[in-house]
Amino acid sequence: MSVAETRVDPITASVIGGALDSIAIEMGHKLARMSYSSIIRESEDFGTVICDAQARQLCESPQSTPLQSGPIPGYVRGINRRFAEIGEEWKPGDVVMHNHPYYGSSHGPDVGFLVPVFVGDELVGFSGSTAHHLDVGALTPGSCGIVDATDAYAEGLQFNAIKIEEEGKRNEWVWHILRDNIRMSDIVVADMQAQIAASRIGAERFLELIDRYGLDTVQGASADLMDYSERVLRTEIEKLPDGTYSAEGKIDGYLDHADPAYRDLPICASVTIDGSDLIVDLEGTAPQVDLPINMPFEGTVDIAIYLVLRSILLDSETHPPVPTNSGLFRPITIEAPEGCLANPRYPAPTIARFVAGNIIAETVMRALAPHMPEAVAASVGNLKVIASSGIRAGGHWVHMDIIEGSYGGRYGKDGLDAVDTLYGNTRNNPIEDIESHLPLRVTRYELQEDEAGAGRWRGGLGSVRDVEFTEPGGFSIEADGNKWPPLGLFGGKDGTAGSIVLNPDTDRGESLPSKIPYRKVDAGETIRTVAPSAGGYGEPTERDVDAIREDIIDGFVSEESAKRDYPQYREA
Amino acid sequence: MRRSRAGDTAVGHHVRGIGALYRRRLRSQKCPHGLGVGPAWFRQVQNSRKAGTGWVYAFAMRVIGVDIGGTFTDLALYDSGSGATHVHKVPSTPEDPGQALVTGVKELCAQAGIGPEDIGAVYHGTTVATNAVLQHRGAAAGLITTRGFRDIVHIGRHQRPQNYSIMQDIPWQSKPFVERRHRKVVTERIVPPQGDVLVELDEAEVRQAARELAAEGVGSVAVCFLFSYLNDAHERRAAEILIEEMPGAFVTTSAGIFPQFREFERFTTACMNAFVGPGTGTYLDRVADALSQEGVPGKLHVMMSNGGVATARAAAEKPVTLLLSGPAAGILGGQWAGALSERERLITFDMGGTSADIGIVTENGVAEASARDTWVAGYPLLVPMLDVHTIGAGGGSIAYVDEAGGFRVGPRSAGARPGPACYGFGGEDATITDANVALGRIDPDRFLGGEIKLDRELALGAVDRLAEELGVGRYEAAEGVITIANANMARAIRSRTIEKGHDPRDFTLVAFGGAGSLHAAEVADSLGVPEVLIPPYPGITSATGLLTSDLKYDQMRTVFMIEGSIDAERLNRELGELEDDVKSSLLEDGISDDDITVTASLDCRYVGQGYELRVPLAQCRFDESALAEFHRMHEQEYQHAMHDPIEIVNLRVTAIGNRPKLGEPQLSRGDLVEALLGEGESVFRSNGSLDVLPTRYLDRARLPLDEQVPGPVVIFQRDTTVLVPPAWGATALESGNLLLTRRPK
Repeated sequence: MSVAETRVDPITASVIGGALDSIAIEMGHKLARMSYSSIIRESEDFGTVICDAQARQLCESPQSTPLQSGPIPGYVRGINRRFAEIGEEWKPGDVVMHNHPYYGSSHGPDVGFLVPVFVGDELVGFSGSTAHHLDVGALTPGSCGIVDATDAYAEGLQFNAIKIEEEGKRNEWVWHILRDNIRMSDIVVADMQAQIAASRIGAERFLELIDRYGLDTVQGASADLMDYSERVLRTEIEKLPDGTYSAEGKIDGYLDHADPAYRDLPICASVTIDGSDLIVDLEGTAPQVDLPINMPFEGTVDIAIYLVLRSILLDSETHPPVPTNSGLFRPITIEAPEGCLANPRYPAPTIARFVAGNIIAETVMRALAPHMPEAVAASVGNLKVIASSGIRAGGHWVHMDIIEGSYGGRYGKDGLDAVDTLYGNTRNNPIEDIESHLPLRVTRYELQEDEAGAGRWRGGLGSVRDVEFTEPGGFSIEADGNKWPPLGLFGGKDGTAGSIVLNPDTDRGESLPSKIPYRKVDAGETIRTVAPSAGGYGEPTERDVDAIREDIIDGFVSEESAKRDYPQYREA
Repeated sequence: MRRSRAGDTAVGHHVRGIGALYRRRLRSQKCPHGLGVGPAWFRQVQNSRKAGTGWVYAFAMRVIGVDIGGTFTDLALYDSGSGATHVHKVPSTPEDPGQALVTGVKELCAQAGIGPEDIGAVYHGTTVATNAVLQHRGAAAGLITTRGFRDIVHIGRHQRPQNYSIMQDIPWQSKPFVERRHRKVVTERIVPPQGDVLVELDEAEVRQAARELAAEGVGSVAVCFLFSYLNDAHERRAAEILIEEMPGAFVTTSAGIFPQFREFERFTTACMNAFVGPGTGTYLDRVADALSQEGVPGKLHVMMSNGGVATARAAAEKPVTLLLSGPAAGILGGQWAGALSERERLITFDMGGTSADIGIVTENGVAEASARDTWVAGYPLLVPMLDVHTIGAGGGSIAYVDEAGGFRVGPRSAGARPGPACYGFGGEDATITDANVALGRIDPDRFLGGEIKLDRELALGAVDRLAEELGVGRYEAAEGVITIANANMARAIRSRTIEKGHDPRDFTLVAFGGAGSLHAAEVADSLGVPEVLIPPYPGITSATGLLTSDLKYDQMRTVFMIEGSIDAERLNRELGELEDDVKSSLLEDGISDDDITVTASLDCRYVGQGYELRVPLAQCRFDESALAEFHRMHEQEYQHAMHDPIEIVNLRVTAIGNRPKLGEPQLSRGDLVEALLGEGESVFRSNGSLDVLPTRYLDRARLPLDEQVPGPVVIFQRDTTVLVPPAWGATALESGNLLLTRRPK
């Protein structure tokens, strides 16, 4: 294929594309190293991006988690919408803080800091970072597991395009509000300052790039790069047969809720291929509820879908690298009826939307599976987020752990064990870091044996993790997949649902549902989380007998279940 | 997009000592006495002894550096008596790399007119451990770990290496160093903050596990317990039991490799050591035996990733410290060349056939990677290593137009076979080398001293096919390949310097490797770097680097102390213990006390941060000034200092055993008439348009000294080609380096 029509010669475009990437990388690198809370520095739950003046993403830090970097253009659009409503505009020297989930933000705890880039009087772009903050002043400590918030107001402070610095001048009053309304505000404020510093570095570097190549060239190259990424994705979509494909998934919701409208909620996706266009329609998804598992349409639902489509269609393992920019969104249209879980109306709460979004991604993957059998996985084991907290001499402490899931079996490969899944890609905290700084003790962290779905290629194993409080404290959890196991694919067996147990293996043992609002615990109490083990791929009868034997030797599968699930092993 | 971790490092730490030595030597060389008296090395020894370093055993020492690469094994011999340097290249023998080493040593001795019995020491850069990891060919290894934590090395940090991939593999799951069947748990538990024993080690369980492992055919075992960096008593006791139960087994403890917190990374490092240990040990034994059979009396030493050398004995215990052995030697070779011309702030740029390695040297020495963020072959590795950043750009990198019309250069490579189109081995794709040939920057008849004849027509054919796809002319396409490749390399260099608070304009680029000097001036131009040094032997810089390093041992301990409650007495006591530990390693290697230099540093961060900066300690002792220095360093690194209390995370101590080093090369003078080999035409871009310019071809060995030759010229020597673009000039220096600078307009 020859080079398409371009604005800038392909050599210069390639050079500028590389330079843009390195700006985002530098921003991410600085943010991770300057920040304080482990959710940013260890878990890497942050994003850094440069956008053009039309709020189109030009690059992202590969260190960031997709659910943080992907939404940043939406933050800019949301701020623009808010500015238009109140007659405000971007000015040189501004720093805008934003977290409004109905104005483009991913959800309240993911606070964005955006810095406009001006050449003279002309607004030419934005440098921005988002990061998950430990606390944003919600009803109970921490910024996850706030599963009993009944509306957006209960989720903590809402920042809708707040100029925390205006034309170069710090707005001290806003900082006072933050310090007065947020738990552990020292850490949160320091993390926010690190974000501002990272966004500023990005803005400086972007200006240097413009200085060097000229604005027209940078804009031309940016447009070319977006066209390029769009073309790459369209090429792949076109390879699929036209038509509409559907799948349905289920989330637990609130398993212990008296009202069935809060339990066992369907997530529906139909994917229509029309030439090189791809339309995802979420019609059929359960109606919104007044508890915070609703998902912001822009900032969560769209990112879940872009992420999974990119991971299947442009899988970085099997496909050459493609620049991450807004061109990748152009071939994709997303629709969801207003008032459903995936497109809620304000002020429906959204703070605990994380795990549900993974099922949207997963359902889209299953809809496409029959047409791309060699590019998909059987269903993933979903995630859990735990906020542990307490009060010590110095004030509150809060710690957030993201508990990994697992991937389903794939064509030619068993599923990945005990990893963060789909649109999340954070890191766990070292046990040696946790215990050195917090009154917690991790007493077990291993694979959960013998629960993965059988198949020609079996599902990945989940984990089991026990954490003991060594001082009195409290915790809250948002999770899913305690009831609905990861599904098998193409004849593979379903995996096993996850579980949460307080004080396992004792006479005080208590099995808990997947949404747990804040509750207190005493010193010596232990929370056990078991991640779901994922679904199998293909008929178990087709699994290689040697692979079954190896699994038994390694303890991934027991002799008993091997005999039950694999007749060829029984016979051999 | 891939999450590229290789060489992704947090902050610029520095290896002290090496740079300081050079400074001392260089200053002393400027003294009037000693000038003109005897050979260069003799002068240095004399002056150094005056300066108090006392290299007593340095006289008339003959040492050999051997760097084994994929294609060639490079050797350099330095005779400190005569000051003469001899270099040699033999084909590598990948099946048994030691074979080429021994052959090369024999031939080099013959070339130098000495016998093997005259060789005082052999310094070796090896890829044996690296290849074992890359090819996943190692020992059947076992793990003994804390009950409840059998799968720390399998779950890792629960992060996928790639954000956007369903089909990816996770190296520690798909290719574990220790398979799960060989991972045994035993009852024990150590807890922070002091390393108290919460649960005693169950020795019977260790014994049982050892018997099981032995029965399973495991001969190498890693012992990895939580919090062993605070208290390694359980790990040491378990290791003793293993040795009792499994005589002859290779036993590694996680704290014994590197006692730093973060269990996944530390355990993985120990498991990697167990995996590569037996094979590396066998290899080093074999080479040492073969050398002594040839009659070489000197000890075999091995280059480590941290830029020091260790005796083969010490290296065999910790083969994970050898994974960057080759690239580290390259940086040291670059540093040596910089020192010859009294340059301290260097960007080393080592470009070969498939990749380019970049390193940074400042007045504080070679930049070291943060142990927290170092990765090899996709696995985390917690050992000190020089900060080498590798990118996929070399002479064989392929230029192509992808499916969606994007123009790319590398990281796909034509390798050695088929190689670039112009090699005539059937390669069809245009590579960087083909583009250089098309532009007249490589003379097809003089490539690698004429050893490989290149086919210009084949290069032009490949470039023309690319040009057609791109819809541009031949020269535009070829020049575009070079521009993109240079931009990729410049960007990598920029990320190594600017991100760390250095301005590349304050640095000298030292270019070597087969292709480095062809690209150096243009890469320097795009970074604003004012000058480029080409070392005397650019093609074997790693081998020469081996002759410039010192014996070196690192040790560290995690402490976690917070400003306001810092126990200075305990810190200094622990520093003293670490100092004794590393010094005793050098004494064991036969280094005398006078030749040992010890440095210490603290890894510090603001309380609550997760990444540390390394603060050097004067006199290896802690006092409050270290905290002020941390604020200053944070400001430099992040343009941003805080007022929060500082947390001391780790103590680090390094001991360096001085040893004799490569001296200045001896040069003969020539003149431009003698040096002129011929004339050709080459293509350069100026003011946006491509010009074909008449270009002189010169022989480096016969260049006049201290006289600038204006570009465009192409300068040849046996192991490389140097391109001097039109706006640049080249000057052969007395030190043996070639200096390229931008000419005043």
